[in-house]
Amino acid sequence: MKAHYLYKYLIIGFIALFIAACTNTDAEQKFEQTPTERLNARKKELNNLLLSAENGWKVVYFTDNTVLGGYTHLIKFAADGSVEMASDFDDDTAVYKSKYDIQLGSTVSLVFTTKNRIHLLSESDNYPIPALRSKGYLGDFQFLYYGQENGEIIFRTNRSNQELRFVKATAQDWTDLHKNIDMIDNVVGDDSRPLFRLLETNDGKTIHKFDFAFSEVTRFAQANSVETGYSVNYDMGIGYSPTGIIVSPAVEVGGQKLSNFVYNDLDGSFTSTGTQGVSATIKYTDKPLVITDDYKILLAGNPNNVYAYIYNLTNTASTNSLLFNTLLTELNSILPTGAQLTRIQPWFNNPDGSNYIEYRFGNASGATIARYYHYFTVSEDAQEKVIVLNPLQWKTSTLATAPSIAAPAFLKKLDAQLMNPQGLYFIKQGGLPYPAFTFTGFNSTFRMTVYPFQ
Amino acid sequence: MKIIKYTTITVLFLTFATIVSCANDDQTGESQLDYTQPTKTTLDNWIDINYLNPYNINVQYKWNQNTVDNSRYLFPPLVSSVQPALEIVQKIWLDSYKAIGGADFVKKIAPREIVLVGGVNLNSVGTRTLGIAEGGQRVTLFETDYIDRTDRANITEFIHTIQHEYIHILNQNKPFDEKAWAAITPVGYTADWYNYSIPASNELGFITSYARSNINEDFAETASVILISTKAEYAAFLAGIKSETALNALKAKEALVVKYFKDAFDMDFYALRDEAEKNTNAVIN
Repeated sequence: MKAHYLYKYLIIGFIALFIAACTNTDAEQKFEQTPTERLNARKKELNNLLLSAENGWKVVYFTDNTVLGGYTHLIKFAADGSVEMASDFDDDTAVYKSKYDIQLGSTVSLVFTTKNRIHLLSESDNYPIPALRSKGYLGDFQFLYYGQENGEIIFRTNRSNQELRFVKATAQDWTDLHKNIDMIDNVVGDDSRPLFRLLETNDGKTIHKFDFAFSEVTRFAQANSVETGYSVNYDMGIGYSPTGIIVSPAVEVGGQKLSNFVYNDLDGSFTSTGTQGVSATIKYTDKPLVITDDYKILLAGNPNNVYAYIYNLTNTASTNSLLFNTLLTELNSILPTGAQLTRIQPWFNNPDGSNYIEYRFGNASGATIARYYHYFTVSEDAQEKVIVLNPLQWKTSTLATAPSIAAPAFLKKLDAQLMNPQGLYFIKQGGLPYPAFTFTGFNSTFRMTVYPFQ
Repeated sequence: MKIIKYTTITVLFLTFATIVSCANDDQTGESQLDYTQPTKTTLDNWIDINYLNPYNINVQYKWNQNTVDNSRYLFPPLVSSVQPALEIVQKIWLDSYKAIGGADFVKKIAPREIVLVGGVNLNSVGTRTLGIAEGGQRVTLFETDYIDRTDRANITEFIHTIQHEYIHILNQNKPFDEKAWAAITPVGYTADWYNYSIPASNELGFITSYARSNINEDFAETASVILISTKAEYAAFLAGIKSETALNALKAKEALVVKYFKDAFDMDFYALRDEAEKNTNAVIN
């Protein structure tokens, strides 16, 4: 009897299992298509998208906007797997042909499979600064497809996972690409422009000033606040455009992001304008960004202070202006062969109460061969914070008994800059491997770097 | 009786259920994968005729991130650099082994894939990696874009890479006498070989500084340098060695290489060297 029930239940159990097993074998489908179908669709979608732009795509590629700037690429895809490309990486903005492919990795990606311009950013032995040795310009040429937005294709770079957008190019973009190269000189700056450069931001209410330094090899700029108690700074990669520059990361002013700057050839400035009075401008100025009271130590009643331009020390300072260097070269060229101006050494508040500039000349081995002294008195313009050197007699010796001489004609031009009746800014200068000050003409592009002896 | 009856009914039912359950499965459709062959260019056809068909070696010149080190800043070669580079490899390497080792030698022991990279593979210490052999299967050659057929030193360096990597592949098939080799210059191997000048390394019994990294590299360097040098060049090199010990070490290593080729592959190493020299001259001139 017991076995009878046992079999009965067993059989019922088996039947139940059989029926239940067949009821719901399908896993819930989250998508209508299989993964393979979806990937294939995505590949097709990307390829169609790439081919859809009549004039191809424009890509301003900032490989790493913490050290490098942007490189503009114009890219046109063809159905046969070939691609035409031009870039502003260097002077060669011509169009070159290579191959591309849509590959499957972690997702669908666009790969430039044979060499073209974009690969110049990924050349291990072509790097702009020693820190990037073996890394080139940190470029990538495989881009993972993330979709599209407002007609732009959104990619992420394969190695560094940065967003990169392909924007539809125009026919004008192709003809104007070489203008990006022409823009470089304007960003580097011209010696004929005023001496100082700054980034000025305006949030509609307040204006802030930042010094501005640009490195051409990395296309990277740094702007640090010059105001005490306001420690904002902007580091930005710069990409060139026919009309100006594109910066990344954008300069954020009053909550607005400014990235497109337009060049104005009249004053050499680059301006980006937002809304509600917000703007940012990179521009030139005659005035030093930071004007200090450093000059006061030179006034009468202070200790004896001596400074000098020295032919084998401050001659290489980047803070010497073109005008200064030109005057110096001009002067040395009219001296006898081998002779040169070795020092321009202003002495203030000497024990006998005098002040003078010592012009010291040496021979080829540096031994002194002549000295000229131009005496002066010191006055100040407290409003503009400049000192004025008021010229007195010339002598060839500082002995009280030494006679005055006629002003040496060959020193006239250089001396006139230092005796500028409008005055000179005298400011402590950082950034050099030795202590330094600069004398800068109030209304000229004259700037001389000197070493302090005290 | 009843049990048997139930059993019969059940068996019938289960059989029926099993058959029915399979009746309505979806039939597999066409493959979702794209099997269409990409259109072959003239270059692709040339590779098929000269590498794939005779030697069963695939040449990859288009970028594929899976066959390169993604942490390096490398790029694929110009399409126009590919065939000239392959012609040089074919003439100096493949043809030389074919002439001395027999038509099927390279086909049997060869990398199954050659990967070409356009640019320099610069290491952070400043050295350049010229080539890589991986597991005896794949050889990667760098600087394809910089080959200059008119420059003997340039061609020699490029060929040095493939000769060197191929020695590794031969070693991976048949090991050399490592014990005997290690006994020749027991000291001198160092990880920072790149800090030593080649003449200094020569005077310690190493053919190049790179040979000092380990005995495997030493063997590959010794064999490949002899293969890329002419008989006269190598004799002059040996004549220039000042240290007696170093000269004996270099000669002992050369003898082991010659013995290895004879024992492992029944090949006359010097004949191979002469053939490579002849073919190198043909490429350059």
